[in-house]
Amino acid sequence: MRNSMVRLEGATKVFSTPEGESLKALDGIDIDVGRNEFITLLGPSGCGKTTLLQAVSGFVELDSGRVIIDGQEMNDRPPYRRPVNTVFQNYALFPHMSVGENVGYSLEVARVSKAERTERVASALRMVGLEGMENRRPRQLSGGQQQRVALARALIARPKLLLLDEPLSALDKNLRETMQLELKTLQHELGISFVFVTHDQQEALTMSDRIAVLSNGRIQQVDTPRAIYDHPANTFVASFIGASNLFEGQANGDVVTTAEGTTIRHASEGAKNSRVTALIRPEHFFLDATEGCPAVDVVVEQIVFVGSSFELFGRTEQGRRLSAHVPAARRATIGALQQGQKSRWYYDPSAVHLIQGEVA
Amino acid sequence: MRIAAALFRGSLYAYTALFFAFIYIPLVLIVVYSFNANPINMMTWSGFTTEWYAQVLGFKTTISENALYIESTDQLVAAVLNSLKIATATTIIATVFGTAIALALHRFNFVGQGFYRVVMFMPMLMPDIVLGIALLIFFVNAGISLGITTIIIGQCTFLISYVFIVVSARLAGMDRTLENASADLGANEWTTFRRVVLPQLMPGILGGALLAFIISMDDLVITYFIAGIDVTTLPMFIFSMLRRGIKPEINAIAVMMLTFSFVIASIGLYLRSRQK
Ligand SMILES: Nc1ncnc2c1ncn2[C@@H]1O[C@H](COP(=O)(O)OP(=O)(O)O)[C@@H](O)[C@H]1O
Ligand SMILES: [Mg+2]
Repeated sequence: MRNSMVRLEGATKVFSTPEGESLKALDGIDIDVGRNEFITLLGPSGCGKTTLLQAVSGFVELDSGRVIIDGQEMNDRPPYRRPVNTVFQNYALFPHMSVGENVGYSLEVARVSKAERTERVASALRMVGLEGMENRRPRQLSGGQQQRVALARALIARPKLLLLDEPLSALDKNLRETMQLELKTLQHELGISFVFVTHDQQEALTMSDRIAVLSNGRIQQVDTPRAIYDHPANTFVASFIGASNLFEGQANGDVVTTAEGTTIRHASEGAKNSRVTALIRPEHFFLDATEGCPAVDVVVEQIVFVGSSFELFGRTEQGRRLSAHVPAARRATIGALQQGQKSRWYYDPSAVHLIQGEVA
Repeated sequence: MRIAAALFRGSLYAYTALFFAFIYIPLVLIVVYSFNANPINMMTWSGFTTEWYAQVLGFKTTISENALYIESTDQLVAAVLNSLKIATATTIIATVFGTAIALALHRFNFVGQGFYRVVMFMPMLMPDIVLGIALLIFFVNAGISLGITTIIIGQCTFLISYVFIVVSARLAGMDRTLENASADLGANEWTTFRRVVLPQLMPGILGGALLAFIISMDDLVITYFIAGIDVTTLPMFIFSMLRRGIKPEINAIAVMMLTFSFVIASIGLYLRSRQK
């Protein structure tokens, strides 16, 4: 594959826990990252994201499987001879060096001349908006600035592939959102591949060309943010990304019937007469009756106003908890609805996504 | 309630004051005595003098009583030089080996690691007398004639432990991801060690070295056993002087040693604060 920047084939890593058990941190991972692609590894804490990243950078030696970077097998190469750079989770800036020395470290190691180094350090710092900060010490900087130094340090040697391990998780919300956009822009301008790790689904949806959802050392789904959101491959992906109303039951024609008797209409072709889980996103429910649209009857338990929308939480007669998001612009449809009252939540059958199998 | 709290606070202050008084009054007294002109009873002040310093340093060899107190300044100077020589050698050896062992035990996982750790602690826990006798028996049986060499070897056996412990503590607090960051930026193991690990470790290494130096300068019991008859160190020399009573010169020597230790400790603290 000419357009592949990194490829993992059957990557497996087993750790032994202190209790003497073995733990599969990576369980047969196959993934292909394209040139110029922004791919995000998304999953809950402990699912193997860092391990996967370190298998690429070389700090984790695989038990089996191959790591191929830019067409070359890397399995036996030590980290310092791999053509990747990393932005570490806690930045890992050298505390005994100035900002300039930190940023210029890889050039110094590569014996680049002092004059060229000074110039490139200055331009790398300019790139991340820290012009003239060469002589500061890392500990004199704020979290966001340290983050930028780490970024400049990793990018100064112009790698074709940058690995970022939860780089924004330590920043506060506003700064995080600013940095998300900046990183995305930077990746686009530099034209290199980013493998970005996060456990924040919103961040993954915002930034990525593609998202790889991980759980228990396995890849659950790799696809574009939209495809992952609209067509999750399994119930783990459906419930990890975005809020979900899941109805597991028996498909029969264009109807899914749950064990307690709720019926959901759908418009998909495939699943006939099999066990499936129907997914309706909260924003696909609406409160005003529409010709030909089926509905679910609920008792409203809570109405929360979050600014851009109202979040309604309710329960079906059979006790299933559901949620619906009504855009603030359509608040009229909520009317005088109050906690404890009955309400009909309508949906379009074509907005129902069917997942094979049941909730894990 | 109020009164009880005030009482508690008051006694705490009193305790603190007593604690420091207990430690520092003897030291202050020695400094004062070292300038007391009274040659017979130093508890009685009879005027300020620097005579004892002059005698110790060999500027006043003409005073008749001199022979009584210090047989010759040359002996003292020789003892000081011996101590410095030994302390310098042991500090270098103990620092190199203690640091190397700490690094090895930190870095590599191998069978019996815990055992080696305990082995490294042992010499510190052993009574000096036992260690001294054990070393003496060893040197005699091995046919090594006692002298400066045996003192250096003997002191190193426990000084390595001190350096090991200080450096290990520093290593334990060190961030492993910094080494990963260095490797990630293209530095091989040696460069990473030189540019990242060593600078971070330096306060620990210097601290260990200063500790080793001071303990070596100070050691009496073990050194006494393995010194043989030809070599005298400063602590041995002072001890032998004491056997003939406490003379004013001893105060002068003590004050000079105190000053020396103080300077070394200050350098240590200064280096430490700069490295932080
Ligand atoms: N060096 C290690 N030794 C033992 N277990 C490890 C080691 N590194 C990671 N693990 C385990 O492997 C699993 C995956 O870890 P990690 O990749 O760090 O997860 P994530 O980055 O997704 O939070 C976790 O259960 C973790 O405890
Ligand atoms: Mg992690």
